[in-house]
Amino acid sequence: MIALIIRIIKQMLNDRRSIALLLLAPILIMTLMYLLLGDSSYEPKIGVNDNFPQSILSVLEKEDVTMIILPDDEDMNAKLENKEIDAMITADSQGMTIRMLEADSVKASKVTDALKSAMATINPAAGMNLSFIYGDAQASTFDNLGYILLGVMSFFIVFLLSGVSFIREQTTGTLERLMLTPIKRYEVISGYTLGFGMFAVIQSIVVVLYCQYILNMQFTGSVLLCILIMILLAFAAVATGTLISIFANNEFQVVQFIPIIIIPQIFFSGLIPVDTLPFHLGMLSYIMPIYYGCTALHDVMLKGYDIGQIWNYLAAILVFIVVLSVINTFALKKYRKM
Amino acid sequence: MKIQISNISKRFGKSIVLENINLNAYAGEILCLLGPSGAGKTTLIRLIIGAVKADTGTIIIDGKRIPNMDSIKTIGYMPQNDAVYNDINGYDNLIFFGRMYGLKNKKLEQRVNETLALVNLTEDKNKLVSNYSGGMKKRLSLAIALLHDPEILILDEPTVGVDPVLRKTIWDEFDLLCAAGKTIIISTHVMDEAAKCQKAALIYEGRLIINDKVETLKSKTKAGNLEDLFFDAQKDGEKV
Repeated sequence: MIALIIRIIKQMLNDRRSIALLLLAPILIMTLMYLLLGDSSYEPKIGVNDNFPQSILSVLEKEDVTMIILPDDEDMNAKLENKEIDAMITADSQGMTIRMLEADSVKASKVTDALKSAMATINPAAGMNLSFIYGDAQASTFDNLGYILLGVMSFFIVFLLSGVSFIREQTTGTLERLMLTPIKRYEVISGYTLGFGMFAVIQSIVVVLYCQYILNMQFTGSVLLCILIMILLAFAAVATGTLISIFANNEFQVVQFIPIIIIPQIFFSGLIPVDTLPFHLGMLSYIMPIYYGCTALHDVMLKGYDIGQIWNYLAAILVFIVVLSVINTFALKKYRKM
Repeated sequence: MKIQISNISKRFGKSIVLENINLNAYAGEILCLLGPSGAGKTTLIRLIIGAVKADTGTIIIDGKRIPNMDSIKTIGYMPQNDAVYNDINGYDNLIFFGRMYGLKNKKLEQRVNETLALVNLTEDKNKLVSNYSGGMKKRLSLAIALLHDPEILILDEPTVGVDPVLRKTIWDEFDLLCAAGKTIIISTHVMDEAAKCQKAALIYEGRLIINDKVETLKSKTKAGNLEDLFFDAQKDGEKV
């Protein structure tokens, strides 16, 4: 088994592309997401008519927005369409109307925030303060959704890597040759899981530290606990990848499983609240390792839970690893009938 | 060690690959499985090593019915495709398979170097296998089969793509192993390789046509040409 682990490490070290996929790809994606979803200093351009109440306009101008006063007969829709302005605010006896081009969450929330705070300046009693038990209103989308990316990405990359290299071992015939040596089936599976698991450990540490120190991602709870969750999730990914590749005949067939195995899990990772799903579809999440991993990451990163509060999620992932490994050990009978 | 193959039949789906094969291989003899491609040679070999299961019949190696773990240790197997790890070097390939067979430390080192020298790969042992030529991969694959000094050697077309000089070296080694009392089964579709074996089993369309000493087989044909036996079998098939 040790020999098997050493061999996998040597193979990986000779394969620079896989190393890059393992380490650079997550860093690239996290950075990209940070830039896309993180806090931006963008100031929305708000257009108003020249009959807009001067009192409101003057306080709005003190907010982080750019006010543009337009003549009455301007075609506002065309201005929005051309992105000359991000929002159009009109006031009449019915109250105020904000019109925007499309439901873009970042710009929309910036405009409403500015308006809310302006209204509070005029009439302090109308002020509205948003507060959360966990997290704060200032947290960016990146802070709130980053944990999903961490979980999904480490699972997906490790799944791909272990699945494809196990299938390669089958297509080149080395697996059959290996199975005709006195090695035990469980040794093959545990050797594979630990060999690729080692790289998953390195990946988890590098990515989490990168998010914490370079991207300043919010870690309310223990960073070490986050790394532990990601490592467990990655081990589950190796086991899943191995299972898929035992039943696939070539690399392409492994890739064909991605829409079935990976994509549904992304939806259950916390992107959509599972308790609002109809027909008890939320129950499906119980058979998805990413659900447990991402929920645990969410609880630690955003709520600051400790290991005592999330141990059941960790246990669930462990059960997945053990069950899948046992199935894999039996599935190897495909190559040796004993 | 004696290998007894009795009443073996195997079909994949509807097509019958092997039909009622009875064949023995003995220690100190090279048995050649001779037949055109698609005759069922590789399937028979995979049955002997226990990679696939026969539909009917038994295979007994040294008194033990396969598949079993003890027999696996005594077999050195070289598959038809190269079945070596391309992304590590030749030396690491041998070290890995050596460990799988339980070789350790000095013994492992010694056997790896011996087999590397035998297949003439000592100089290239630190090269990545993906940079090897086809013939070099074949030789590495053979080295893996010989590595743990097995009592039984089962080699599926071992000398395809190997140059004539090295082919002779390899056959000399087979003769030495044979003289040392190993049981060797070699499949080939090259007739003149069969002439170097003690016994030959001719397989055609999943059936064992004839199985005898190579000398006896030669005397059965007019020109001493083993190929003629296949033409005879073909004619017999047409009559039925």
